[in-house]
Amino acid sequence: MESLYLLIPIALIFCVIVIRLLIWAIDSGQYEDLDKEASRILMDEKSGQQKSPPKKDNSDGD
Amino acid sequence: MSGSQPCFHCGEPVPSGARFSVDIDGIAQPMCCPGCRAVASLIAGSGMASFYRQRTAFSEKPASDTAPSLDEYRLYDDPSLRSQFCHSGEDGSDTARLLLGGVTCAACTWLIEQTLLREAGILDAQVNLQQQRLLVQFDNTRIQPSEIFALVESLGYSARPFHNSSQREQIEQEYRADLRRVSVAGIGMMQVGMFGIALHAGDMQGIALEYQTLLRVVSLLVASFVMVYSARPFFTTAWRHLRHGSLVMDLPVALAIGLAFAASVWATATGGGEVYFDSVVMFTFFLLMGRFFEKRVRRRHMLACHDAEGSLPLAVTARRGETWERIPRRLLQPGDTVRVVAGETIAVDGTVLMGTSAVREDTFNGEYVPRTVSPGDTVFAGTINLEGSLELAVQQLYENSRLAALQQSVERAQRAKPNLARMADRLSSWFVGGILIITAITGLVWYQIAPEQVLWICLSVLVISCPCALALATPAALTAAASALRDKGVVVHGDNAIEALSRARLLVFDKTGTLTEGKLQLERIEPCGPLQRETLTALASALQQHSNHPIAHAFGDFAPVASLTDPVYAIGAGVEASWEGQRYRMGSERFCRELAPELQPVPDANLYWVALCRRDQPLAWFGFSDRLRPEAAEVVAAAREAGMSLALLTGDSSSAGERLAAQLGFDHAGIGMSPDDKMQQVRSWQEQGHIVMAVGDGLNDAPLLSLANASFAVASATDLARAQADFVVDSDNLGALITRLHKARQCTRIIKQNFAWALSYNCSGIPLAAMGFVPPWVAALGMSLSSLIVVMNSLRLNKSDD
Repeated sequence: MESLYLLIPIALIFCVIVIRLLIWAIDSGQYEDLDKEASRILMDEKSGQQKSPPKKDNSDGD
Repeated sequence: MSGSQPCFHCGEPVPSGARFSVDIDGIAQPMCCPGCRAVASLIAGSGMASFYRQRTAFSEKPASDTAPSLDEYRLYDDPSLRSQFCHSGEDGSDTARLLLGGVTCAACTWLIEQTLLREAGILDAQVNLQQQRLLVQFDNTRIQPSEIFALVESLGYSARPFHNSSQREQIEQEYRADLRRVSVAGIGMMQVGMFGIALHAGDMQGIALEYQTLLRVVSLLVASFVMVYSARPFFTTAWRHLRHGSLVMDLPVALAIGLAFAASVWATATGGGEVYFDSVVMFTFFLLMGRFFEKRVRRRHMLACHDAEGSLPLAVTARRGETWERIPRRLLQPGDTVRVVAGETIAVDGTVLMGTSAVREDTFNGEYVPRTVSPGDTVFAGTINLEGSLELAVQQLYENSRLAALQQSVERAQRAKPNLARMADRLSSWFVGGILIITAITGLVWYQIAPEQVLWICLSVLVISCPCALALATPAALTAAASALRDKGVVVHGDNAIEALSRARLLVFDKTGTLTEGKLQLERIEPCGPLQRETLTALASALQQHSNHPIAHAFGDFAPVASLTDPVYAIGAGVEASWEGQRYRMGSERFCRELAPELQPVPDANLYWVALCRRDQPLAWFGFSDRLRPEAAEVVAAAREAGMSLALLTGDSSSAGERLAAQLGFDHAGIGMSPDDKMQQVRSWQEQGHIVMAVGDGLNDAPLLSLANASFAVASATDLARAQADFVVDSDNLGALITRLHKARQCTRIIKQNFAWALSYNCSGIPLAAMGFVPPWVAALGMSLSSLIVVMNSLRLNKSDD
């Protein structure tokens, strides 16, 4: 059972990483428009030459 | 092509005789007008035809038949205007924000993005479907904002600069903060729950103290983070209201979370008792989740806040010296002369200097029959010039116009809207008091019996009385009801609207466009000459093709006669043309009498009559009316059955309103009412204690809609009316009103059941806990179970059929 002393901190580290990732995603605007994302995958069939990554202007709210 | 065939682009019926079609994926598809054809052929021509396969809703009909020239948009390149919606990035590119109209589904966003991205100079384009916004990054040396506007409009969408308001910005930030809190609580819940299972298993099977302490300490760590990060709003709200002497639902929530957390910390520190970290975190997550969904539903329309000024054109044609120039509307001064051509929205309040025309003033009175204006008459900003070109002397700019006054009364109405106290808040004020008193008494009594037990027994009382179920009762049911309604095409965005709707007992209707279809239709033909009905309608249909008057649309279904020659359109009077060697006139009584003096008088006053005649021979009277929606009578009957009393408030001052009210059996009818009169009336009803539900469509109904306790905007409503209404019905069917009403009442029933369950659970649990029969872990289990039952009960709202 001593392994708990190693496994629990590892779990916590993962937890912190996940939270950081999620907060980064929220702040970069990826969750702004949940209605569109659901059908986005169906739309991209011949999207031409440019495929824009889901990057969003950070200063959206200014 | 039959008249019932829908236009492939916008879904409206194709008028017979219209011969527009576009080749899409190899099939010739019918189009209803040149506007739709232009848009569709552009889409098909640029290889975007898959848009039509992907879309889930018909597109909106383009506003005008011909694409406006690029010159119209040149204005947006003007640095002063441009700086309002564009800003420059560090890399030299500009970012513009546009508010879009007509974006109906995800395929529209794809179409706009792809079309823009193909354009040279556009670096990135993102359409936000929920907020109807376009964010476009472009290289200003290669493309100008005006070209972007023109491109978007050529696809059949409307675009205007997006101005950020501080309110909108705040909503935006709140949304992100809420989302962050929910996700942190969710992840925290998973972690603490994992440790919780180990601890519970340990309680049953035995666990070494060393590992129990380890698990508790780690749970404490995670739970404290969730407390500080996610649960903080409960504490701050409770405290804010407590300082003002009011007890809200957040107070028992804060109390329960706070005390259970504190007790768990104490238990961890002393190594005895019981920890509730898992329950605390789970409860926080569920509650935040419920509130998040509740808010998300409302946010949708708050962001698209439309104001009246947005309906005015940005550019006007004004006289500068001897020439006419296109200038931004904001640069106008009172006293300037502006020219408004037919079909344009009038941008200012002014006096007609030159020209005769008809203006449609449904903005102010909701009516479809235009008013004829000639030099000396006053016209108002926001109305539409239908027939001829007018020259106006500017009297008032937007700030002092009648339209701005309307907008202000909308804002006034919003503030005056009576707040119905939430059921949960009313309940909680005495609930909290009761719990605190009982806990205090329990503590005192046990202090006499067994002082060492006091803490744990008091804690059991608090945990078992934890109002989780009570706090979840309302948000869970409201969220379920809102999502059930959304599936049926109703958008809910009013605060408190579902509760208010279920308690409303007075239903107020607007007439034109709400009870009626809002467009003139041919009702009767009274022939008074030698011609047959078929010839008459064919002739009229041909003549009306040269008219801008609203009745022209009524003839769309009739095939016109061929070879009509030299048509002349007389403004404010009618149309004149030659057919088979004779001169024909169709229009007002006076206009026709000039040609055929022995024309009979108007048959009766109930319809809107137009005459047709040829030289020295009257031919027919055509009677038009705004037809009642087919389902109106049914809706009225159903509302009455549901125990509502009915009122009709209309801006129309003709007798049509009273006849309609009598026909449908309304209890009250007000005719010729201005938006302010309507507000006064509703306020006096509210002061008498009525809870008012209102249904409307026009800009003139906006103040009414925002004042009423619960309000509906019908599908075709103006943007401002939609923004003010609590419910927007997407399908063009009034019957939806009644099903919403039933759904709202069902929702309130569920909320009451939830309350009944939560209260009875709390009330039966408290005495047991106070007597010391309930070990804290049973209390914790009960707390989770009772919440679960509330959520399950609320979900019943989703599946019932109506």
